Amino acid sequence: MIYKCKNCGGNVVFEPSRGRMYCPHCEGEDSEDEIRGGALTQCANCGAPLDVQKYASSGRCEHCGCYIVFDERVEGVYEPHMILPFRLNRDSAVEAMEREFGRRLFTPRDFMSTKSLEKMAGLYVPFWLYDYQARYDFAGEGTKVRSWQSGDTEYVETSYYEVIRRMDVDFDRIPADASYVMEDGVMDLMEPYDYHALMEFAPKYMSGFYGEVYNQGAPELEDRAQAKARGAAEELLQGSLQGYSSVRPLRKDLNLQRDGVNYVLMPVWQYRYSYRGKSYLFHVNGQTGKVVGTTPVSTGKVLAYGVSVFAVVTAACRLALSILEIL
Amino acid sequence: MREYFRYFRWLYITLFLLLALFGFLSAGHAIIARVADYERTNTECATLERVFDYGDVLTDKEEDKLRKLIARREKQTGCDIVLVTLQESLKDYARGIDPYVDYDEFVRVYAEDFYESNNFGYDRPNGDGVILVDNWYREEDGGIYTWFCTTGRAKEVYADADIDHLLDNVYRYIQRDPYRAYKTYVNDFYNDMLGINIVHLNVSGIVTWIVGLTAAVIFVAGHWKGKSGARTVTATTYVNGAEPSFGVREDRFLRKSVVRHKIQSGGSGGGGGGGHSSHSGGGSHGGGGHRR
Repeated sequence: MIYKCKNCGGNVVFEPSRGRMYCPHCEGEDSEDEIRGGALTQCANCGAPLDVQKYASSGRCEHCGCYIVFDERVEGVYEPHMILPFRLNRDSAVEAMEREFGRRLFTPRDFMSTKSLEKMAGLYVPFWLYDYQARYDFAGEGTKVRSWQSGDTEYVETSYYEVIRRMDVDFDRIPADASYVMEDGVMDLMEPYDYHALMEFAPKYMSGFYGEVYNQGAPELEDRAQAKARGAAEELLQGSLQGYSSVRPLRKDLNLQRDGVNYVLMPVWQYRYSYRGKSYLFHVNGQTGKVVGTTPVSTGKVLAYGVSVFAVVTAACRLALSILEIL
Repeated sequence: MREYFRYFRWLYITLFLLLALFGFLSAGHAIIARVADYERTNTECATLERVFDYGDVLTDKEEDKLRKLIARREKQTGCDIVLVTLQESLKDYARGIDPYVDYDEFVRVYAEDFYESNNFGYDRPNGDGVILVDNWYREEDGGIYTWFCTTGRAKEVYADADIDHLLDNVYRYIQRDPYRAYKTYVNDFYNDMLGINIVHLNVSGIVTWIVGLTAAVIFVAGHWKGKSGARTVTATTYVNGAEPSFGVREDRFLRKSVVRHKIQSGGSGGGGGGGHSSHSGGGSHGGGGHRR
């Protein structure tokens, strides 16, 4: 399907900064007409042949530049339960990246000015969101140690406790991306998204962006979500054991009960820059503006800053010692 | 460059303030040293010599330099400053005076006796002053001993920790450069007498290099890590209500055990000592020793 402007016939897209459909040709708002039809092989606007990737659910015709949402990839079993529409437009994403590059101390000074853009795209990445009810039964032996001196004798007192916990946790919407193309590590760093902005799915939000259907089903990715839930549950339980010098576990029983799972599309901006013959890929969370990606490192800056810290801290320590010696 | 200075401005400001404080204190110290000019009132001292290199560990030139330094420091501190090096067993000598004295105090007996028999003391015989006796001979128990003996005002100024500090500084150089070690003795004594003796730190110079290096490594590692993006998910990010609920949360006391052990008091590598007070003849001495 494509979205055409009622006023001028141009391609209407979802504009994140306005939060609504927008025609860049006549600047009309919410003037779209949804035109269904078209196939994966042919542009619904101009009829040109399309080269559609295996899991693509939306894309752009290379001939007429029209954004197309593929009906059969957003319906039936592929219909997402929800979508998190882009909040950042292209310019805001670039600003977020430039702010981030400015914060990264070892990024070469000329990276900002001499890098060249190779690729730029807004993507809706498929995610499965899992809900779990977790029950953690824990029993262990905890020790508290205190020591004191009396005369020339040191006393060490160790108190032993039986530690029992039954912890219940409701995990809501633990994400696992269902795209082969997106690196799991990068997608994990993109988190968290603000789920309050989740909307009931409507294909119009995909107009103007690329998208994918899930590449793997919910059962196949459940291990990743469970690992996240187990890690968080363990951390929460450990938080309840503070105050002990040591805790020796005697029984640990963590049970995860899946409560539900949802298929959701999340917004990500993807940029590929070329700098001094090398490619650098960056991802920007299309909602929060968080930037993930490795910037080049200037050896000169590392040396200059590292040596400066070494020299100044050493000099400060020596001066402080000299001052104390004078005193 | 502007970015660099803006980033490090607080570090450089701190360094500048420390430098200014150091300069201020040093200047104050120098002024006090210049003003301090004690008049010697002891006319019964048996000798004008202050450097007795019986152990022959110094060159003539080094001895002369030490004599000049001591002459200056004596006027500034109002104390006699004596140095004796030896290369002989003091067992018979010390036990002749005190039959029950232990190996580590042979040098003490020698130092106190030497000080008293020569009538050292800036203000009066056996008065204000210090003597360092460094015996390079290895006694039967395998130790080489040094004693720093204080008398009069010097005794009042020196607490046990201060004595250890001075001897630690001397021992830092004694094996590879005895002249530097004895010069340190004279200068440290001068600093201690003129300073107000609040802080004494036994910090080796290499520690500051290690601190600097560690800070640089942490700094670089911290910023290097940030070049990809930081993890911003916590354990409660996906928890409904932001916290878990505990149906059972019990901590039952079972038992208690107490272990006790004696605290071993011992010296460091350079060898313990410090904290001795004695009365003999006409004088009252303080001081302490080290073993190597």
